[in-house]
Amino acid sequence: MKRSPALLVRKLTCVCAIVLGVSSMTSPSFADTQTKSSVLRLANAGEPETLDPHRYNLRLEETLLNDLFMGLTTFDARGNIVPGAAKSWSTSSDGLTWTFKLRTDLKWSDGQSLTADDFVFAFQRLQNPDTAASLAYFMDMLDNAPAVNRGDLPLEALGVRADGPHTLILTLSRPYPYLLERLLYPTAYPVPRHSIERHGDAWVKAANWVSNGAYTLREWQPQAHVALLANPHFIEPVAIQEVYYHPVVNEQSAYNRFRNKELHVIGSFPVGELGHARERLADSLRLSDLLSMMYLVFNTSTPPFDKLPVRQALSMAIDQRILTDQVLRSGNKPAFSFAPALLEGYEPVQLPHTDIAYAERLATARQLLADAGYSKAAPLRLELRHVSGIDGKKVNLAIAGMWQQLGVQTVLQQADLRNHFAQLRQGNFQVAWAGWVGENNPEHYLTLLQSDIGSVNYGRFEHSDYDAQLKVAQAQTSIAARNQALQIAEAIVVNAYAVVPLYSTSVRRLVDPRLQGWFENGRDIHQVRYLSWP
Amino acid sequence: MSTATHQNPTLRRSSVRSAWSAWLAGGLLLLVLGSALLGPEIAPWQAEEMDWQAMEAPPSARHWFGTDLVGRDLFVRTMQGARVSLLVALIAISVSLCIGVPWGLLAGYSGGLLDQLMMRFVDAMYSLPLILIVILLVVMFGRNPYLLFAALGAFFWLDIARIVRGQTLRVRHAGFVEAARAMGASTTHILLHHLLPNIRGPVIVYTTLAIPGVILAESFISFLGLGIQEPDTSWGVLVADGVQTMESSPWLLLFPGTMLAVTVWACNTLGDHLRDMMDLQQTDRIN
Amino acid sequence: MAGYLFKRTFFAFATFLVVVSAVFFLLRAAPGGPFDGERRLPPDIEANLQAAYHLDEPLAQQYARYLGNLAQGDLGPSFRQKDFSVSELIALGLPTSVLLGLSALAIAVLVGTGVGIAASLSPGSGMDRSLMALNNVSIAVPTIVTAPALVLLFAVILTWLPAGGSGSLQHFVLPAIALALPYAAAVARLIRGAMIEAAAETHVLTARAKGLSQARIIRRHMLPIAAVPLISFLGPTAAGLLTGSVVVEQIFDLPGIGRYFVQGALARDYTLVMGVVVVYSSAILSFNLLVDLAYGWLDPRIRAA
Repeated sequence: MKRSPALLVRKLTCVCAIVLGVSSMTSPSFADTQTKSSVLRLANAGEPETLDPHRYNLRLEETLLNDLFMGLTTFDARGNIVPGAAKSWSTSSDGLTWTFKLRTDLKWSDGQSLTADDFVFAFQRLQNPDTAASLAYFMDMLDNAPAVNRGDLPLEALGVRADGPHTLILTLSRPYPYLLERLLYPTAYPVPRHSIERHGDAWVKAANWVSNGAYTLREWQPQAHVALLANPHFIEPVAIQEVYYHPVVNEQSAYNRFRNKELHVIGSFPVGELGHARERLADSLRLSDLLSMMYLVFNTSTPPFDKLPVRQALSMAIDQRILTDQVLRSGNKPAFSFAPALLEGYEPVQLPHTDIAYAERLATARQLLADAGYSKAAPLRLELRHVSGIDGKKVNLAIAGMWQQLGVQTVLQQADLRNHFAQLRQGNFQVAWAGWVGENNPEHYLTLLQSDIGSVNYGRFEHSDYDAQLKVAQAQTSIAARNQALQIAEAIVVNAYAVVPLYSTSVRRLVDPRLQGWFENGRDIHQVRYLSWP
Repeated sequence: MSTATHQNPTLRRSSVRSAWSAWLAGGLLLLVLGSALLGPEIAPWQAEEMDWQAMEAPPSARHWFGTDLVGRDLFVRTMQGARVSLLVALIAISVSLCIGVPWGLLAGYSGGLLDQLMMRFVDAMYSLPLILIVILLVVMFGRNPYLLFAALGAFFWLDIARIVRGQTLRVRHAGFVEAARAMGASTTHILLHHLLPNIRGPVIVYTTLAIPGVILAESFISFLGLGIQEPDTSWGVLVADGVQTMESSPWLLLFPGTMLAVTVWACNTLGDHLRDMMDLQQTDRIN
Repeated sequence: MAGYLFKRTFFAFATFLVVVSAVFFLLRAAPGGPFDGERRLPPDIEANLQAAYHLDEPLAQQYARYLGNLAQGDLGPSFRQKDFSVSELIALGLPTSVLLGLSALAIAVLVGTGVGIAASLSPGSGMDRSLMALNNVSIAVPTIVTAPALVLLFAVILTWLPAGGSGSLQHFVLPAIALALPYAAAVARLIRGAMIEAAAETHVLTARAKGLSQARIIRRHMLPIAAVPLISFLGPTAAGLLTGSVVVEQIFDLPGIGRYFVQGALARDYTLVMGVVVVYSSAILSFNLLVDLAYGWLDPRIRAA
């Protein structure tokens, strides 16, 4: 018994020494990133689920797909909609037929030419029930799209066809003035038919990868990086040759790695460090407003939130300016209307109490609650659901604090993004924080409260006048006429206190100051092809 | 048949240790307990009260430990957190005693096949990534604090069961037990009146040593965002938040972190000392 | 010995099977589905997804399908990572986790043994006391505090090492140290105690009387005795390191399977979470099996049990 352990100790020591030796061995510096002028390393908000544009779900996948593919329309460096694979387009007078003229020099990254047939294949694949695309409804304005997606009609029935190699014709079932914007989403990107037919679902593997964007997929190492390489067959040359998207979930970690020059661009960092960043990283700090709406939603199908006075009281007690200026302190804009104030060409309708002094609002709110039968002895108790994370926690804690002034007792319930919205869609909440990052289109926000829109109407808000007014708006062909009708609709919903608008998000990025071609924009879209090192 | 301590790196053998550290540990523990009980009562702030004039403010006469991200008094929060963390430990340890003591007693006293089966089960539990399973339960069935406490308890009873079984084996054939049996005492009577008092000492020692493990496990789970829910708080929640701002507002980490570390240290030291005093050896071998 | 070996292996395998089954049914019993996204899913699309992943089959059939695939090393498709199978993901993450775990184990054992010996040379001395005080601190301060502190010091302030991510061996230095710290402290205490005991053994006293050098006495006569409790401590250490690596991988953005676990659990990625638990459990079970066998080989009394 005393003999053998000695041997074991020696062996063990040997193994340990080898492991330790290997792990402490030096290798080319981790900070060699700044030396190469054609490499860019960016932090992404998380790990993509997929790089198949028809199966994607998340915004962080959109970011990657924007670099890998190019749809009929695309963004310029400032986030404006510009021609992409299509060089021009025209619309029929009823707004139901769209004709796109494609560029003639389009090629896939393997050199094969890209034609209108590829788009037809892609639009049909999106609606194909076998694809199981969860966002297929993004293109449901195409003629017969819902029926094709259900499998009731063949793929050929879909309102898309090619007229020669360079002309694509889309037929809609209803006017849709925001089509050019909707085409920016990956659900409308072309996919390489020749590769998909050869490799099946494995076409998205790096080894089989073919795409038409400025970059192609070189390697995807989950949790480490998605590596992109410049596409030699893209319509124009790009400056950055290699791109690494690193999934960085932890904000503190992103901040540390940026300061250690391991990352060139990060999408967020702890808000507590904002002051420090303003002092020490002023030339890297980029704050920009995101076209978005963060709001509180009342479950109008459960008492007491089916009562207007209760909703009104809770809404009046919230001071949006305290939330943005004292609590969040990172440049978020207070919101007083359900459609974001950042929308172009649309004048949102503000909450009726917006201009009343806060003390007066509190007094009215107390009175409303007293009239509804609540008192110190019998206070209103409610559960407020929110998304976990420092910012979400702060905002909702502050809201609970504001309601406390009315004698309302709030219990907070947090969940990760995914589970949070799952609960909301099932209507399993009383009051909840919610958010929507949408199009530059008031309808994209206002339909969230349409009674028959389905589970995204989290609070099951129902108002027949509102629904009717939305239908009126959707029938309009011109954007101006639509917006006018939508304003009338928004006034109904604002006066019904269905939701409490809170703020529109601001993005706090750190961008290496030497990087050129980076412009802030309301969509927070930054395609790498517009960027370069000096 | 690995060792008695599992996933809790506090295993140690007999060591020479001066009494003053035990006194210091005991004193600090009393201080922590006392401030947890009295702190929130004597402080001028409520745990959920927000001071809009002092968001994320450093320590001052107004706020002794400073304030957190939404202007709540950190002193009160820390003491509130102490209550919750100690409560977690209390409940989890109670749960583990409720399972572990009967389990160990039964296995040790009955011996034979039943003993083998029961201890095999304990062995099997040891070889699982239990804390990950606790996380899994919490994620699946919602963040109910009592579920968390109970799940942690269901994780820490293994040590207790082993210790109790070992002690039971030791005294099972002792003269006074044999005598009681000869006098026709029932098994229940023997277990309750003869065996239980004899295993009390070791159980107290290992309970003291298990507390830090529970507290650290709670902070681990809270760090991942799966633990105690706001507006309730615990040391784990406070430390996890403090880490996020450790550069810009170090006090948010410093105060709760120190309290946590001091408590863990004090429990370890005290437990060690008690064990040395009782001269306990590890008793974790089958047969 | 063959009987002992067979018994232990069979026992490990049975445990493994129970774990797999328990986790499978727990996950299926959980509320909420894997396809709850941020945006609305019309019922027909939801149905397509359910069918594509066999979620519309009866539970027993899903279970049988899972076990059958498992036997062939196929852990199924990942619900979240649609472009990867679980086996592919684990194959990608495993090297990182293994390297992290082994480095941490090596640090814990080597540093812990070194410190333990140093402290045991003259028990009660200033050196012993300061080392043990440092030890107590390492045990009492949780990894979630030490890891960010290490990053702040060595990456942000000194810029010697990367703050996170992967790609070079340097990326593993800080995570391995942070992970190993409390276990190194525990090993140090263990070794110190065992060495002090060993010093009192007769043959050690004899060796000392013969005038052998201190280094030789420690190596040839004392360490072998102290190694016995160390080996039995390796099982729990390995399990603890594995659990701890979940948080460490999270803090340092290391692409190991611990991150898959956390993200999979949050996203209800059934197959991925199961896959990680299967891998973790089998890793701990086989490690414990090795420790048991080593013990059985060292101590014939156990073999007879």
